[in-house]
Amino acid sequence: MSELSEQLAAALPDNSVVRPDWLRSLRETGAEQFRAYGLPTRKNEAWKYTTLGTLEQAGLQLPPAVESLPSHDFTPAPLVESGLQLNMLDGQILAQTGDPPSGLTVLPLADALYFGINGLQTLLESLADKSPKNLAGHGFSALNSATLEAGVVINVATGTDAGRLAVLWSTAPDVKPLLFNSRVCVILEPGAKLELLEQFQSTADNANTSNIVLQAAIGENAEFCHIRFQQESDKAALVTRTEVAQQAGSAYTYYGFDLGGELIRHDVHAALLGSGAKTGINGAYLLDGNRHVDNHARVDHHAPGGTSHQYFRGVAGGSGRAVFNTAVCVHPGADGTEARQSNANILLSARAEIDTKPELEIYADEVIASHGATVGQLDEAAVFYIRSRGLSEQQARQLLTMAFCRSVSEKLPDQVLGEVIAQRMLDVMPQAE
Amino acid sequence: MSIMLKITNLHATVGGKEILKGLDLELEAGEVHAIMGPNGAGKSTLGYVLAGREGYDVTQGEVIFNGKNLLELEPEVRACEGVFLAFQYPVEIPGVNNTYFLRAALNAKRKYHGEEPLDSVAFLRLVREKLKILHIGDELLHRAVNEGFSGGEKKRNEIFQMALLEPTLAILDETDSGLDIDAMKTVAEGINRLRSKDRGIIVVTHYQRLLDYIVPDKVHVLADGKLVATGGADLALKLEEQGYAWLEDGGITPLPSDSASRAANP
Repeated sequence: MSELSEQLAAALPDNSVVRPDWLRSLRETGAEQFRAYGLPTRKNEAWKYTTLGTLEQAGLQLPPAVESLPSHDFTPAPLVESGLQLNMLDGQILAQTGDPPSGLTVLPLADALYFGINGLQTLLESLADKSPKNLAGHGFSALNSATLEAGVVINVATGTDAGRLAVLWSTAPDVKPLLFNSRVCVILEPGAKLELLEQFQSTADNANTSNIVLQAAIGENAEFCHIRFQQESDKAALVTRTEVAQQAGSAYTYYGFDLGGELIRHDVHAALLGSGAKTGINGAYLLDGNRHVDNHARVDHHAPGGTSHQYFRGVAGGSGRAVFNTAVCVHPGADGTEARQSNANILLSARAEIDTKPELEIYADEVIASHGATVGQLDEAAVFYIRSRGLSEQQARQLLTMAFCRSVSEKLPDQVLGEVIAQRMLDVMPQAE
Repeated sequence: MSIMLKITNLHATVGGKEILKGLDLELEAGEVHAIMGPNGAGKSTLGYVLAGREGYDVTQGEVIFNGKNLLELEPEVRACEGVFLAFQYPVEIPGVNNTYFLRAALNAKRKYHGEEPLDSVAFLRLVREKLKILHIGDELLHRAVNEGFSGGEKKRNEIFQMALLEPTLAILDETDSGLDIDAMKTVAEGINRLRSKDRGIIVVTHYQRLLDYIVPDKVHVLADGKLVATGGADLALKLEEQGYAWLEDGGITPLPSDSASRAANP
């Protein structure tokens, strides 16, 4: 184990007083796993291309237990207006604006644990992984479970369309960089609908790390639209894991946009447990400077007639590095599944690097599956064509890279939001070298 | 009449291979010239050299366009100065809306000439006006540039771009290739409507049939990197009749006396 892992393990809270018993057990299991494996290292296949060197150097610490949140005047400006907005600071709810519509419950995780929410225990326990091979790669999740307390629980009642809930994440800088853990639990009852718009931003000097696990249980015919926009500081790290369990006829659509941060790791995993479920996992990542963005997307088809589409586009300039791993497994019995994976990347600099790997395993019949991964440069014939019409070389390259990234933002159901995000991407678009 | 384009002893290589081997051409404002020739003669290379494509290296000679040394200019500057190449194979640009692209191109040119950019309302007014003149619909405007366009649609889109950008010198590289007769008539009509006393047009074509609809002031024959014959519109008819075989062995058969033609490089 690394020095950082040992320090973090030694700083884990005492769980003996935690109640109820099932929660203490969850936290203890997390703590035991973390003490055994620590943070993942490159020896683990899932972390082969991502090193935590920057975190090790920073001498990351767990935040001290505090009675109240520190004063901090930075709040990200929301991308678009939302009926209901949560401002999260250091992994906890700082403020809520707007009133939840009837049928939508939003609670701090600590309160939900105290009062009890239907399905919460099952959902939290479902994260537990028994496979030692996976445990070594899930050190962040183990740490998150060992400190389980901060976070949010969102419940949408049967048949309710809860509309958009915006969650704005930020952390307060301290003398030393801190590692904040938070858990988001989303429970959509049958036929419920929710759009969750997560926005991650921090001030320029912020060198904190956030470790956030989101778990979603999507009931029959429920629809969960999950948008994640990340523009952290160039020193900040963000490690997120999204675990989604889908019942029959449900839909989960993820749109991720990574525009900032120094070290970004996102694992998104959808399990299609009921028949006819639909999953869409889309993302765009823009790399410049020393940014490292690692996306691991996985879809498990356990039931027949499901569809999953994965669509990611990446642009890497400067000394940026992108890792993209997309996996689909069509398990026995998931007949008639349609699974598509597409990842294309543009390299704008000789120092930038992209590692992309699609994986596909099929153990069922009548499956339609396709996958493609490309890394390339801009089409020079197109660059010349655009220049021959009077636009400068720089404009031509920007037009082409933007078109490439827009193909993701244009998939958003809300075109206004899509345009706002496209404009943000344009603002940080790396230049060709 | 003033000389708009003067090409002198132009030599150009592509991938180290010499394609243009001493080409001379003079074009006056208001004229339409046709350049014909067999495959591999260097017709497309001439278009790319004039437009400034990378990889088409000029090793000798000069090109003066409206008093400026054209070969010194970046492709976008040539475009802003009024050079337009209609591509033989227009490039597909997925994700870039055709209307957006055209407006960006037009405004780049306007900016170069110190003019205010057109806002979307003024731009759409202009687009509608040009569409009407060319008798083409607006269905291509809502799509990505050339993406999934048929051959005919791509060529019409080139002509539409040309109409909108109002070049001083238009070079049409095999704009007729791959078109059925109706599409060719539409394209030819578009070109004819752009003929004006201030504009020079070079029509590069392999076949004579386009010249039934666009009657050129001069016809040049390009073979092995040089213009080997120049004549009036009727030279094209002779080529249609006799093919390019008579160019072989460097042998140029005497042209009919009534064609008022002469060899370009005697």
